[in-house]
Amino acid sequence: MIQDKRASLAEAASLVQDGDVVALQNMATQLAPMAVVRELIRQGRLNLGIVGLLAGIPVDWMAAAGVMDRFIGGAVTMEQFGLCNRYRKGVEAGAIRVEELSETAVNARLGAGARNLPFLPTRGLIGTELIGMDPDNLRLIEDPFGGRPVVACRALVPDVAIVHAHRADRAGNVQLEPTAEWPDLGIMPKAANRVIVTVEEIVETEVLRRRPDRTVLPGFVVDAVVEVPFGAHPTSCFPFYGYDSAMHLAWVAAARDDVTTEQFLDRYIREPADQAEYLRAVGGATTMLALERMEHA
Amino acid sequence: MTTQTAAAALADGPVAEDWAVDEIMITSLAAHFVDGDQACNGMASFIPVSAFMLARMTHAPELVWLASAVGLDPRPDRVPASTLEAPLWRDSVMYMEQFGDFWNYALNGRWLQKFCVGAAQLDRYGNANNSFIGTDYHAPKVRLPGTVGMGDMGSIGKLLYYWNPNHNPRSLVEKVDFVSCAGYLGGGSEREDLGLTGGPQLVVTNLCVMDFEPVSKHLRLQSVHPGVTVEQVQAATGFPLLLPDGDVPVTAAPTVEQVRLIRDVIDPDGMRKREMGKH
Repeated sequence: MIQDKRASLAEAASLVQDGDVVALQNMATQLAPMAVVRELIRQGRLNLGIVGLLAGIPVDWMAAAGVMDRFIGGAVTMEQFGLCNRYRKGVEAGAIRVEELSETAVNARLGAGARNLPFLPTRGLIGTELIGMDPDNLRLIEDPFGGRPVVACRALVPDVAIVHAHRADRAGNVQLEPTAEWPDLGIMPKAANRVIVTVEEIVETEVLRRRPDRTVLPGFVVDAVVEVPFGAHPTSCFPFYGYDSAMHLAWVAAARDDVTTEQFLDRYIREPADQAEYLRAVGGATTMLALERMEHA
Repeated sequence: MTTQTAAAALADGPVAEDWAVDEIMITSLAAHFVDGDQACNGMASFIPVSAFMLARMTHAPELVWLASAVGLDPRPDRVPASTLEAPLWRDSVMYMEQFGDFWNYALNGRWLQKFCVGAAQLDRYGNANNSFIGTDYHAPKVRLPGTVGMGDMGSIGKLLYYWNPNHNPRSLVEKVDFVSCAGYLGGGSEREDLGLTGGPQLVVTNLCVMDFEPVSKHLRLQSVHPGVTVEQVQAATGFPLLLPDGDVPVTAAPTVEQVRLIRDVIDPDGMRKREMGKH
């Protein structure tokens, strides 16, 4: 009998403790586990260190709500919607510390964490000033076999990884529709001590058996699986739905001012008690059905 | 091949009379992507994406394009609002998984030799900064997005092609506030001495095209766009320009056919205009 990993958003979010290092799936406007992000803000988590390759609106929301004090990763931007200004202000004011890494360094640090190695090397970063800014985690070392030096990237073991995907069964076996497979899902859950997965739908295991090649994460690494329709909104979950431009623009406008920032956080994050209330607050079915889908050839 | 001759080679047909600055940036960049190359793009890269699409429709039908470093040989019906998102990778032959797969090809050295870089600051030796403006990493005046792949591409033997739609003394500086992408470092043999191969090749801006003087590795004016003077370029540059020997050439203007493809087929929504005149 397989273990049932189904949980509520509140139960899943309780796997994250104050001060934890949290690996967060997200590529700019894509595929962030937004329902869990909102729940962490609602529950008032503090001092989180967020790990991300290319993080967007979830980090800006967490910076605005004061739940994070570190960012470890590649970049923070909402691409076409511009810089994450609440995050930016937090860094400029000294409230958020940045440990900036190149893409291969993020991969190497998490890869070493996953494989229980002290570090993995990369050839990236050599010549940049990023190495010198993070001597605790990045060191130029000799190649023991006589080749050119490489950069040792210290293992990073996040306390929790949070990812969103298309479907899973109740055991937490996670399956994707044909879509871009960013490195987050490929490595974050394997490096982290605890794993939270939100999915568009929880299905019978029989459904997964029809396409085992689409199953990308085995249930034994997963601690909690939560069914959250439109759980990535306002980021995209192609091919099911695109990012919500209007919501991103509304946030950019609100984030210019402290008062409107708080109003936005109250209206869309603190007040809606669950995903259904959140979806109603952002415009309900009309909004969701208007999001772009992508048909495959 | 210089920009001049490369652009001339693809410029079959009459020169357009009403080309725009974004279009001459696209054609100047496109000339350097040829059959046998593999190209990938990152986020907010409307000029490079348009250049790859144009090259594939004209002089380089066998240029391999990996949209967003994900979608192999895609067929987007136009440039969309994001260059890191679907539907840019519509109809791809393959979705390349990033952690285990893309970086094998990118780091291997045999493929994906050329990489386009856009950054907030670029200096006279081709070092780029997308980390922060100011003097203190932990207390920056302005926190920039961060480097991601750029922090790797400068160090792993790639040929770097910078594009800068907003050529001004704040974006083209004598020395970057922080080296987040390695160019020629302090110039001369400094990059080579560190064991790094490849390096910056070209800078295409809204005013001109620049290359790097082979010995000093200092940025050097290669051509000014039609109607732009050397004095205008100098006034917009944060360090003394190095000029080529003899008269400064004029960048080849886009052809009627190139302009038609860019406006009507590749980017009818004008996404490329979003990059222009931001600062």
